[in-house]
Amino acid sequence: MSAATHRARRARKARHGGPVAWGFALPALIVYFVFLVYPALSSLWFSLTDWDGLSAAYNVVGVDNYKNMAADPVVRQAAINNLIWAVVTVVVPVVLGLALAVALNGKVRGKPVLRLIFYTPAVLPLVSVASIWGWLYNPQYGAINAFLRAVGLDSLAQPWLGQDSTALAATMVAAIWLRIGFPMLLYLAALQGISPDLYEAATVDGASRWQQFWHITMPGLRPAHYVVVALSVIDSFKVFDLIYAMTYGGPGTATQVMGTWMYFNVFQYNQAGYGTAIAVVITVVAIVVSIPYVRSQTKEHAI
Amino acid sequence: MTSVVPTAALPDATIAGTGPARSARRKSTGGIGTTVVMTLVALLWISPLALLVITAVRPLADFVSHGPLSWPETFTLKNFADAWGIGNFATTYRNSAILLIMKVPIGVFLSAMLAYALAKLRIRFGAAIMYTVFLGLTIPIYITIVPVFVMARSIGLTDSLLGLVGPYLAFGIPFEVLVLQSFFRQLPDEIIEAARIDGAGPWRIFLTIVLPLSAPALVTVLILDGVATWNEFLFALILLNSNAHKTIPVGLLNFQGQFSNNSTGLAAGILIAVVPILIAYTFLQRWIVGGLTAGASKG
Amino acid sequence: MIDNTFSRRRFLSLGGGAALAAGLAACTGTGSDDTATGGSGTGTKTLRLFTYEDNSTIDLLKAQIKQFDTQNGTTTTVDSLPGSGAAVYPDKLRTELLGGSGPDVWRIWGGQIGAPYVKAKQAMDLSKYYQKFGWDSKINQAAVSGMTFDGIKSGVPYIGAGIGVWYSKAAFAKAGIAAPPTSYAELEEANAKLVKSGITPAGLGGKYGWDIMRLFEYLLETSAGPDLHDKLLVGAETWDRPEVVTAFTNFKKWQDQKWLPDGAVGLDPADVELWYVQGKAAYTLTGQWTEAQGIQAGGKKSADFGVFAAPTAGQPLRHSGFVEGYMINAKAGNPDMAAALIDFLVKPESQKAVKVTSSVVTGAEPDKATLPLSYEWSQGPGRQPFYTIQDQALPKKQADQYFAIQSDVLQGKTSPADAAKKMQDVIKAWDKS
Repeated sequence: MSAATHRARRARKARHGGPVAWGFALPALIVYFVFLVYPALSSLWFSLTDWDGLSAAYNVVGVDNYKNMAADPVVRQAAINNLIWAVVTVVVPVVLGLALAVALNGKVRGKPVLRLIFYTPAVLPLVSVASIWGWLYNPQYGAINAFLRAVGLDSLAQPWLGQDSTALAATMVAAIWLRIGFPMLLYLAALQGISPDLYEAATVDGASRWQQFWHITMPGLRPAHYVVVALSVIDSFKVFDLIYAMTYGGPGTATQVMGTWMYFNVFQYNQAGYGTAIAVVITVVAIVVSIPYVRSQTKEHAI
Repeated sequence: MTSVVPTAALPDATIAGTGPARSARRKSTGGIGTTVVMTLVALLWISPLALLVITAVRPLADFVSHGPLSWPETFTLKNFADAWGIGNFATTYRNSAILLIMKVPIGVFLSAMLAYALAKLRIRFGAAIMYTVFLGLTIPIYITIVPVFVMARSIGLTDSLLGLVGPYLAFGIPFEVLVLQSFFRQLPDEIIEAARIDGAGPWRIFLTIVLPLSAPALVTVLILDGVATWNEFLFALILLNSNAHKTIPVGLLNFQGQFSNNSTGLAAGILIAVVPILIAYTFLQRWIVGGLTAGASKG
Repeated sequence: MIDNTFSRRRFLSLGGGAALAAGLAACTGTGSDDTATGGSGTGTKTLRLFTYEDNSTIDLLKAQIKQFDTQNGTTTTVDSLPGSGAAVYPDKLRTELLGGSGPDVWRIWGGQIGAPYVKAKQAMDLSKYYQKFGWDSKINQAAVSGMTFDGIKSGVPYIGAGIGVWYSKAAFAKAGIAAPPTSYAELEEANAKLVKSGITPAGLGGKYGWDIMRLFEYLLETSAGPDLHDKLLVGAETWDRPEVVTAFTNFKKWQDQKWLPDGAVGLDPADVELWYVQGKAAYTLTGQWTEAQGIQAGGKKSADFGVFAAPTAGQPLRHSGFVEGYMINAKAGNPDMAAALIDFLVKPESQKAVKVTSSVVTGAEPDKATLPLSYEWSQGPGRQPFYTIQDQALPKKQADQYFAIQSDVLQGKTSPADAAKKMQDVIKAWDKS
């Protein structure tokens, strides 16, 4: 073969990392496949059955579970709730987290303490988060209503967790409180990658802080934006623990989301087949949402 | 050429039209203003936790007879001593710590390796791998619990901390890989190329260049993974049986009875469980913002 | 073109993985390897007991079991999962049973919480042990029926809790209520007086459904009577009828008249149940455990409180109740030994040693001196028949739908008449196969 073809061949090989790359990737991939992918896929199989989660025997029912899902009113409610939840608990913590990260990266005194305070809620066991906020939201004795009454906003004092109309919103407030630490942390780390020289030069040029933010910080954080938003969105689709602990899906089924409804069906209603079908839907939706992100990260590969 | 100078040491910027003294004053007032605002916000932010602390320092009888939102009539530190026993913290702390030390560094390291392969080594099937990694993020953990239990049982690793390591590692991989590969991607190829030309092998490059330069990201991921591992409940619940092996989250169940909770003990127990994480975080966060503007420095 | 290559590869890698996993899946989840628990053979001397004993009494239980071990030369491991009760414990039990390594003996609630294990044939039929140890004569028969499914005695109950009205004497006195009400009408009057004196009458919270359901089932028992109530619970009569509508109408009345706390459906029972001790409510509907865990834990005296069965019109005066007991693993290695362990634990001496406060074993009543109110209950209403508390009478799925309907009624989103119809749909859809 000609030297040119050899060179081209080698170049192409170099383009794909080859055995070295696999050497780096395999350990994690093996652990991942054995302990996560395989168990998950073997479970998802049950979405095509009527398994009750307990007995040894079951029947294959094909896509019946999925058809039932389409007719299930709780699923409809849960899907809507998931959507609302996704939008609010992604946008607000990300925006606030970014603001905090920028503020805490700049000229502020007592940074370590402040960073600690904003991150602490993320570290608490959810049982305590649910208890605390339950106490705060108590209609007659809770701090929130007490505050509203104290400032003369009596009409706004209501049973936050005891009403279909406000229960989800009340839980979202607690979720935001809880979740700000994560974007804040990621953005703080990402901000380190933006050279201060850029800011220095911009200040010399007369750019205001606001302009610097929009033209230096934001573009510089673009990769971080992708990660933070992608992870937050997927996390929000999976939400379970907080809602379960704070409202138990209630009142009635007002705050059910796909994650909690799946759990109820699999573990409490002895309808593991149906519940797993719900899990499949969660997974599929989340994957579809992740497509733009993955493409953005792998686009360079195609070149 | 461009040296990296800590922001604080920059000479006062000369914004057109203003003298150095003016802008110096503006800078320091700007600092105080933000500090005040941030402090107020922080105080508001932390106020729900005040409830937790108050609950932990009041006697249970006081809590039961007056309710959670009342000011305690007496204060006590006894709950902490009691909670230590009730929650079996001596054992659960040890178990949680062992698990943390076993799993978190290894997990982050493995994820870093995979992330590097995805970000810089241009591994084949990169997109497929990424999708599969995303799959792990999206799958609700509960549906894997039975197969994992069956697996653990068949290799005799139920009721053992070692049995938890596999699933924990696996579930940490998705978000760690995604965060890390995003950071690695930002590293300038020139540095890596330069090292390769100098004759460094891929491992050497990874260990001596890539990892140190990514310290903020690594520390971030260590913290996130550490917290998740410390607080993980479901797998620990299902896979561990005997008291000698329980981890802290499962141990906290000891404070809950069928119909009533030892709320003050639980509050004290939670504080006991949470304090080390907070200490670790305070210590580690310096590494995130430690002035390592690595991505920008050249040469 | 390169994109096409990638997408084909992507599909293949994912598809291949899925096929492989599906194939492997056929091997797991069905028919777990039948390794008998607790060792092999019927002569094995090791047992495993799984329970949800509270942390405060688990050591007592272990000490008691140690006695059994010494007497019989066995070794029994006791695993306990306190707290969170019916939410978390059954998951772990179920996972262990599925994985083939379930305990020999486990504690469980009766009714529809224990029923799935019987239906899945994981709990053993205990009829022959009932005969051997004579449990029928030692244990309250109403309790036994709580652990009998489809006529098969599948569990041995030893706790029977009854729901009654636990009230604060001070609150009643302040409102001018001289004696506990003896009819539903009197109860309504008492409520009105309490509201006038500035206190919320009933401290109940509907976060998980079952606490506030205690009120509804009482209202149903009152308006429908014992016979009809029982028939409704098994779907033998339709719910779409006036008696049920009356019950729902009364239910709404309690919220509208402020006899229930504001926003009751969102309140956590663990908090609200203590309100009668804290002076925030006059009474609550709960079981005997509250004496130790509510009144005495709050440093108050039993003498300041009282208990009575919620008055209905029917005779005998029934109350809502539930049982807890032990089941034996159908695959237990040594069932005879397991049964002997259970027999040991339900002996009165054992019950007292472990401080079971609501035992259904004759001879193990609560101590009059330390738990006077519980004693009073056990001698009075405790001897009356009870109807299974509704969240155990119905499977969880139906129960949750039931709670949802109750929640809608209280919030005014569903009219009582519609609620009755919806409830009928729920019961009709209950697949009892």
